[in-house]
Amino acid sequence: MRVHPCFLGAAAVLAALAVPATAQQVQVYQLPPGSYPHDVAPAPDGKIWYAAQKHGAIGIFDPKTGQSREVKLGPKSAPHGVIHGPDGAAWLTDGGQNAIVRFDPKTEEIKVWKLPEDTGYTNLNTAAFDRDGVHWFTGQNGIYGRLDPKSGEVKVFKAPKGRGPYGIASTPDGEVYYVSLAGSFLGKIDRATGETKVIEPPTPNQGARRVWSDSQGRLWVSEWNSGNLSMHDPKDGSWKTWKLPGEKPRTYAVYVDERDIVWTTDWGADAVVSFDPKTEKFASYPMSAKGANVRQILGRPGEVWFPESGTERLMVIRTGETQ
Amino acid sequence: MRAGLAIAAVCASSAVRAAGDPARGERVFQYCYSCHSVDPTETATLQGPSLVAIVGCRIAAEPGFEYSPALRAFAERHGRWSEDLLDRYITEPEKVVPQTTMAFPGIEEAGDRADLLAFLKTRAR
Repeated sequence: MRVHPCFLGAAAVLAALAVPATAQQVQVYQLPPGSYPHDVAPAPDGKIWYAAQKHGAIGIFDPKTGQSREVKLGPKSAPHGVIHGPDGAAWLTDGGQNAIVRFDPKTEEIKVWKLPEDTGYTNLNTAAFDRDGVHWFTGQNGIYGRLDPKSGEVKVFKAPKGRGPYGIASTPDGEVYYVSLAGSFLGKIDRATGETKVIEPPTPNQGARRVWSDSQGRLWVSEWNSGNLSMHDPKDGSWKTWKLPGEKPRTYAVYVDERDIVWTTDWGADAVVSFDPKTEKFASYPMSAKGANVRQILGRPGEVWFPESGTERLMVIRTGETQ
Repeated sequence: MRAGLAIAAVCASSAVRAAGDPARGERVFQYCYSCHSVDPTETATLQGPSLVAIVGCRIAAEPGFEYSPALRAFAERHGRWSEDLLDRYITEPEKVVPQTTMAFPGIEEAGDRADLLAFLKTRAR
C-alpha cells in the first residue's frame, strides 16, 4: 500500500493530510535553515527534541505552535543522537564535543561529561539507558561505553571487530544491545563486565545500522547493506529476515511503536516503511521530498516522529490518540 | 589590483596547506575513520568511499560505490578533487554539496584541514 504524499507549502507549519484508509495522519513541519535534525525524541511536556547537528544545539519544537528554538550545547558541539532519559532530561551523544550531554528541560542547564582524554575522537553515535539508570553509548570509531549519572564515572570499551558501533537500544527488562554497521553484528552488553556478546545475523555483511526492541524483548535490526529488516529473539536465539519492498531498498532507521508495529526508513525509495509482524505486511509512506534522509525514528503512544535531515523538516505519523 | 589580491589570497591559502603535518593529519583523520579507509587493501564494507589517492582524483569515481545524486551532480561540474576543493568541502560539506548524504558537520580549523590534506596526500596507491 502506498499512501498519498504530503503537499508542501512555504508555511512553517504544513497542513495535515488525512489518510482515511489507515486512519493515520501525516504532518510535516519546516525547521529553521541549517538546523539539520539528525535524531529526534519526544519530550515529556509534549514538545519534540531534535539534535541540531550543524548548529551544535538541541532543538525544541512545539507541535502546537509549529515554532522551534535551539539551545547551544557548547564549543564545537555537533550532536548525533538525542533520547529522553528516565530523569525527564534530554541526553545527547555529542560527536563534536566527544562528550555525553544532558539538557534539563526545566532549568535549561547543560551538563557535559567528556570522554577520557586518551580515548581520542570516537564519533559518538547513539545512547540508551539500562534498567539501573546507567547510560550506555556507542562511538562509530570502534567503541562503546557507559556513564553512571550518579557518580559521573565514564568507562569506554573497545568494540569487537573495531569500527562500526551505531544504534543501541534497551529491552523492556533493561538489557542493552547495540549493532555494528561496519562489523555487521548485533551485540549484547554484559552490564556487569562491559563485555559484548556478538550475535551474528544470518545475512553476511548485512550492515546492521540501528536496533530497537519490541514489547517482548525481541530485537529488530535495520540492515543498510542488504536492505533487510531482521528480528532476533533472545529467548530461543532465532532470527527472521524480510526484504523491504522496492528494487533496491536501503534500510536505515528502525523503531517499534507501542502496538509492536515496526517502522523503518528506506533511503532507496525515500520512504517510511511500516511492518506488521502479525500479518508480515509492509506499508509505505513517502517522505516529504526526495533526499529527505531520515536517519532515525522515535515516538510516543499515538505518534511516530521522523527527522528529515536532508530537508530540515520533522514529519510525524499520527497512528491514534496521543496519551 | 583586485585580481592581484585574489592571487595573493590563493597563494596564502596554498601556503597554509603546504605547511600541513601528515603525522598530525593522521590524528585528524579520526574524524573520517568510521566511514572511510586509507588502506588500499581494506576489505570492510564502509559507508564512505576509499580515500586512497583522493587528492587529484576524479570526484565520485570509485567503481561500485553508490554516491548521492548531489555528489554525482557536483562531480559533473567540478571533475576532480583539487586540494582547494577538498579543503572547502571538508570545511562545511553541506554548504559545498547541498544534500550530500555525508553526515559530517566539517572541520573548522584551517590548520587541522591542512594537516588532514597533508596526510591524505601520503596515501597514494
